[in-house]
Amino acid sequence: MTLDTEVQSLRQVPMFREIDPARLKLLAFTSERVHFAAGQRFFSQGDAADAAYVILEGKANVSLDTPNGEITVAELGQNAIVGEMGILSDSPRSATVVAAQPTTALRIDKRVFLELLTQFPQMAMAVMREIAMRLERTNAQLARQSRS
Amino acid sequence: MERSLFRYIWRHSRRDQLIIFAVVLASLPFYFASLDLPRRIVNEAIQGRAFERGQETAPFLVLSVPWSEWLFGHRVELFGGFQVDRLTLLFGLSGLFLLLVLVNGAFKYWINVAKGALGERMLRRMRFELFSLTLRFTPEALRDVKASETATIIKDEVEPIGGFIGDAFTLPLFLGTQAATALIFILVQNLWLGLLAAAVVGVQFTIIPRLRRELLRLGKQRQLASRRLAGRVSEIVDGIEAVKVHNAHAWERAEIGQRLYELFDLRFRIYKRKFMVKFLNNLLAQLTPFFFYAVGGYFALRGQLDIGQLVAVIAAYRELPPPLKELIDWDQQRLDVQVKYDQVAQHFAPERLAPEPETEGEDDGPLVGQLAVRDLTARDLHGQALIDRASFALELPAHIALVGDGGPGASALARILARQTTEFAGEVRIGDRDVRELSRATAGRRMAYAGVEAILFPGTVRDNLVYGLRHRPLRSAAEDARQKARRLVEARRTGNPIENIADCWIDVSLAGAADEEELDLLLIDLLRRLGLKDDIYRWGLSGMVDPGRHPDLADQIIAARIRLRTRLAAADMADLVEPFDVERYNRQATVAENLLFGVPTSRALMGRNLAEHHVFREALDAEGLTADLARMGARIAETMIEIFRGLPPGHPLFEQFSFISAEELPDYEAILRRHARRRDGFKGQDLTRLLALPLAYIEPRHRLGLIEAPLEERLVKARRAVRDRLERSGDPGVEFYDVERVCAAAPLKDNLLFGRISHRTANAQVRVTEAITGVVEEMGLRPAIERVALDHQVGPAGRMLTAAQRASINLGRCLAKRPDIFILDGALAPFGETQRKDLLVSLLEASRGRTMVAVLSSDRESESFDVVLRVEDMRVVVGEPSGRRTSTDGAVQHGGSREKRVAGEVA
Repeated sequence: MTLDTEVQSLRQVPMFREIDPARLKLLAFTSERVHFAAGQRFFSQGDAADAAYVILEGKANVSLDTPNGEITVAELGQNAIVGEMGILSDSPRSATVVAAQPTTALRIDKRVFLELLTQFPQMAMAVMREIAMRLERTNAQLARQSRS
Repeated sequence: MERSLFRYIWRHSRRDQLIIFAVVLASLPFYFASLDLPRRIVNEAIQGRAFERGQETAPFLVLSVPWSEWLFGHRVELFGGFQVDRLTLLFGLSGLFLLLVLVNGAFKYWINVAKGALGERMLRRMRFELFSLTLRFTPEALRDVKASETATIIKDEVEPIGGFIGDAFTLPLFLGTQAATALIFILVQNLWLGLLAAAVVGVQFTIIPRLRRELLRLGKQRQLASRRLAGRVSEIVDGIEAVKVHNAHAWERAEIGQRLYELFDLRFRIYKRKFMVKFLNNLLAQLTPFFFYAVGGYFALRGQLDIGQLVAVIAAYRELPPPLKELIDWDQQRLDVQVKYDQVAQHFAPERLAPEPETEGEDDGPLVGQLAVRDLTARDLHGQALIDRASFALELPAHIALVGDGGPGASALARILARQTTEFAGEVRIGDRDVRELSRATAGRRMAYAGVEAILFPGTVRDNLVYGLRHRPLRSAAEDARQKARRLVEARRTGNPIENIADCWIDVSLAGAADEEELDLLLIDLLRRLGLKDDIYRWGLSGMVDPGRHPDLADQIIAARIRLRTRLAAADMADLVEPFDVERYNRQATVAENLLFGVPTSRALMGRNLAEHHVFREALDAEGLTADLARMGARIAETMIEIFRGLPPGHPLFEQFSFISAEELPDYEAILRRHARRRDGFKGQDLTRLLALPLAYIEPRHRLGLIEAPLEERLVKARRAVRDRLERSGDPGVEFYDVERVCAAAPLKDNLLFGRISHRTANAQVRVTEAITGVVEEMGLRPAIERVALDHQVGPAGRMLTAAQRASINLGRCLAKRPDIFILDGALAPFGETQRKDLLVSLLEASRGRTMVAVLSSDRESESFDVVLRVEDMRVVVGEPSGRRTSTDGAVQHGGSREKRVAGEVA
């Protein structure tokens, strides 16, 4: 797997869909491709957020620490992005992410990512649009819940 | 320093000057003989004047008493000479001429060497003296003495003085004699013409120096201006950070530009003046022959002067100008050098220097007993009182907290106790000794002062820590006897120290150690307590191990290497590290590392230089790799140009990630454009630049898909060829990897790993480092690794360390010599509050049984101390630490401490 296939994967991420291929290539080049064994943690709840991950292959589980023990809240598959909210908001990890099977991911360093956002307004816009859309979805969900 | 340069030279080089002069005189007869001989060869041998009267032979090598005819009325011959025929006479005289040439050459050689040696010795003496004076600058003078200016003086400004010294006395004497002879000859020939010549010479000697006075004034200015330029440049270099932060480039550039203009202006004025004087000088010199021809000719025509005499006078006059000219030049040089010397002497004016200690003094016992301060008054620079008539007494050793009221009073008292300032009134005594009168040896051995600024010298951590243990050489290093004798003779002749820097200077007993190994352990223990525990472990891991110096450690590293491998395998972590294997391509390492299979020690093989190294390139050619690597380079360049194009130059991402710097992008674009149709046939500079790129390439990290299994195999095969060729070319410049040996050029950590950590596996770095630490602990290697850390370089002024690390090493240096009195004045400033608290505890612990005086900002930190001196409102009050209420009557104390007002009386 080379840079070009990683760029293909990045294009599948909604947040990056609109971005210039050359910029995505830069994003991929400045990121690291890392392999997690099954059961290995990406990060734990409460850790400082230092990177976001795009899953290239495999699956990972998102879980929360609760008084009743750890509960899995979501499963991430190919081309999913995780941890991006933490690096944007500069807050500690809100959940734990563990590889469910041998998984390969692209690790996007926080500093590099923010550097790219400041440099390329197009990228920043794309990220903002994605976040706004998520907010809208959440609002809609809230509205549905309060109605029901 | 001596006020007059000449007196200085005479005092230190009288003997040599006289010897040189004597030899110069001794060489003169030979010189004159060599001038006379050609005439004899032509006249006597070739033209045959010696055989004029028909004799077959003529005497050769007649030795007669000089001027004997004139003295005794007849010729006194010591040796009648050999009777030889004409041909023999010719060869004899020619041989004699050759001999004289050799003798003259030998004289000249000896004189030049002697003069050079004399100058160099005096230069060495002068430089050393100036350096010694530098050490004596008072703290007050140091405020306006710039380091770089002093360095310029010692290095550059005295240099021409040294060159002049050899000629200082000999040249004027020699030339003066020559000129006087010529003048007397003219006078003897014709009184009036002689007087005329003498008058012109007189004018030359009075007017020219006058004209040169202005030249000297300018020279003085020039010297000061260039010295200031040097000072300013070094100031800017030191403060380059501030220049960058405030974007003051333009301003600084303009400033230096202005200075250079002023310097140019001065120098230009000097040139104009100098050549004007030269012109006048030449004119005056030519004026004399004019008079001779005009006046002399007039008299000759009138029959009042014999034509033969006139010709002789003019001939003699030709001998006069060269020595005169040289004399005048010498005079110019003398004045020039005198000005330089005066300027140098002014920099080291006596009022700037502390009085010279009569002797080093002997260490005369521990600083314990009563610390008695009477009527102590100290003022700041502006005459404001900091401490006013303070008196108190304390029994030492004690741990004393000096708590200030936010003003500089507490620090001033600390500096007085530490002998950092001598400007105070009153008396400070420790036991029966006045602090001001302590010998340097006692103070240096038994006191330590840690101020705000941690002054470190370039060198290793160890060098800095043992700085206070080097008072005198204890054991001489092995030294060649002849070399040593020569070194000592030279040192004595030039007033330099006779101690050898290579001797063992470190007095381990001062630190309480029996040998250097124990000293190392003590130092490490000290550093650990000073909060550098993790740092020294890291420094140790990143340090180099010289198997020659640490043979035991080298063996242990090999053992640890094996153990680490098994440990990783057992923990299912084997794939985290890809070990170096001479038969296999290491995917986690760069192409260059794979090709060299070792660590370069020669700069020519490091980084991109490798692409230019001809032996390396030959190996690539021989293995048929050049074209492939160049194509790889082209692919890398293409990708870099594509993805980094949008970034502005100087962007941090460029530096961190790109193979090509922003400035080079256009060059590489041009290279690719030149070969747009076919990525082949690269030559010359283009080829070298493209080859440089893949050298740093690591497939799993950069993921451009450029290296596949067949290429890997070829690269491994080329490894052998590269090594063979490098080894054949002499010193290979590479420390090759060998699984059974320590690689002296690689850091300790790399030696333990003997491989590269995988770029592919998440968290590999952290996990492998943990595994290494595990092995290190298991094998008890930590102390040995920490010893390696003592060789860590601190950089110029310790700039390779953080402020806190510098401060810790400064404290370590103070404590290593176990001073009787340790004074802490602001050295904890770089630390955070909690760290400061811990350190204070460690410092008190380390000074147990000895005195420690610490300047504290508040009472809160004083609880572990025995006694508190509060400096409030220029008074010093002895009290007890806060949090320790010892009142017997149970009354509640205000401010948490009981105080005894003792100012103005002896407690």
